[in-house]
Amino acid sequence: MTVTAPPPVRAAPPEAPPRPRKGRRRYGPVGLYVPALVLVALVSVIPIAWAVRLSLYRTRGLRTVEFVGWDNFATVLGPDGWGDIARTFAYVVISLVVAVPLGLGLAVLLNKPVRYIRAFRVVILLPWVVSQTVAALLWKWLLNGQYGPLHSLFGGREPLADPIGSMAALILVNVWISYPLATILCLAALQTVPQETVEASRVDGCSPTQSFYRIVVPTIRSTLLILVIMLTLLYFNMVTLVYTLTGGGPFSGTQVLSLDAFLQSFQFFKIGVGAAYSVVLFALNIVFGIAYIRVLRGSSDS
Amino acid sequence: MTADATRVKRPARLRQAGIYAGLVAGAVFAVFPLLWGLSTSFKPEATVLATPVRWIPEHFTFDNYHAVLFDSQIPRNLLNSVIVSIITVAVTLLIAVPAAYSAARYRFRGKGGLLFFILMTSMVPGIAVLVPLYYLAVKLSVYDTFFVMIVIYAAWQVPTIIWILRGFFESIPADIEEAGRVDGTTTFGAFVRLILPLAKPGIGAAAIITFVYVWNDYLIASTFVSDSDLRLISVGLYTYLTQYGTVWGQLTAAVMVTLLPMIIAFVLFERRLVAGLSAGASKG
Repeated sequence: MTVTAPPPVRAAPPEAPPRPRKGRRRYGPVGLYVPALVLVALVSVIPIAWAVRLSLYRTRGLRTVEFVGWDNFATVLGPDGWGDIARTFAYVVISLVVAVPLGLGLAVLLNKPVRYIRAFRVVILLPWVVSQTVAALLWKWLLNGQYGPLHSLFGGREPLADPIGSMAALILVNVWISYPLATILCLAALQTVPQETVEASRVDGCSPTQSFYRIVVPTIRSTLLILVIMLTLLYFNMVTLVYTLTGGGPFSGTQVLSLDAFLQSFQFFKIGVGAAYSVVLFALNIVFGIAYIRVLRGSSDS
Repeated sequence: MTADATRVKRPARLRQAGIYAGLVAGAVFAVFPLLWGLSTSFKPEATVLATPVRWIPEHFTFDNYHAVLFDSQIPRNLLNSVIVSIITVAVTLLIAVPAAYSAARYRFRGKGGLLFFILMTSMVPGIAVLVPLYYLAVKLSVYDTFFVMIVIYAAWQVPTIIWILRGFFESIPADIEEAGRVDGTTTFGAFVRLILPLAKPGIGAAAIITFVYVWNDYLIASTFVSDSDLRLISVGLYTYLTQYGTVWGQLTAAVMVTLLPMIIAFVLFERRLVAGLSAGASKG
């Protein structure tokens, strides 16, 4: 091989691909996407289009019987649906308000150079591997008002037996399974904060608290935003935990939109109404998804 | 200024104690439900519902584990979950790695739109496509197979994994392939021999994320399989609950058995995971 020295990096104009082989110049890079595209089209895109169609029909079993336009959405978004929508937002917002500061706080602690930090890290992040089903089973047993270890705390009442108590329990368990994700992302972001800047701010007379809010938080702002969006999506779409922990009860106290979508379709076999709930969820996801991508774009431009 | 200066010099020992107190509180919150489950799993059924509550079982027994491991479907469910998880990881990587590499290295018209489209499909809520997918699975007579579950899991993981891996490939300098090509290797050869080994941490993280996802899923596993021989572990656990009533001793033993592989994997790969998740989430 008689080749001259390799050209300096970025010698080519920025638009040109970094010298793909001739002949594959055009289709090679695109071709690498084909399997992924086929798969997501088949499993996500076609089915969601189908779900949108189903939401506009009255259904019997899996067959569409007649076009009803917005009727199914009237059930979902109408006066009877407000309770579920309000509960969904309460559940999502309160979970966020608890999980994000908790995750960030633990990440800050896990970022300190103290002894046994690796052991603490493993233990504190452990709920990340616990499935929603298992979390529901374990917490149901832990919160058991009669035989659980916390029963004296509840004064003999069953927390899962009244609507407020079960919503509180749902949020608690939800936070328990999702804060590790927050901690992992915050921890990774905290490690990118330059120590010199923090120390400089301390020399300039900032208290630790001040330098945290003025230096650290602004630096990891985009991670925090992404985290909030990721958790929002996760919470809105949470079916398994709600279904296995409370089943929406008691007295619809934990009936949220994602569970409605599941129950309407798979327990009441009102496919059309279930699809309408799904489409509303999908619309919510799109809104937060676009916000997510905006944040990603913004952070990579800077 | 002077007040701030004294606050900077707040006793280091007090701060240290505060950090430990916070860490211990976090650790207790994390393991509290797990420990209560572990404790229950070693109790004979007669003492499970005893009050006052005992954290250390008075009479220690392995009966619950014996029942779970030898007289139930749980081992079968575990095996199924291992098979489906591993194949899903392989399929997901096989599909996501080329796309992620292309995304990191090549530019072409419409690339932004293409990536945006793939990423947006991960915004489709699983619950929304369950009914159409169910119908499709029945039509194509793949209902009640591992195949259909693997395809769906892979499709739902591919967008996220492409995102994570793209960040990793971008962090590997392009000169490395250049050097390989100068030495006469093909693009593919350079990728396999030079890039893949360097991307190992990212691929490892992607594999763990996918594995945990499949292992923990309930929605797909409960919708697309009705044959009890094909049940995955999450569904197996839930069936166990409804089948035998709430026998807490056995149920918690079953939970512990299903958690153990995950906990071992987590302890082994925790560092890699943190690195992988952060690369995927912080790079645009």
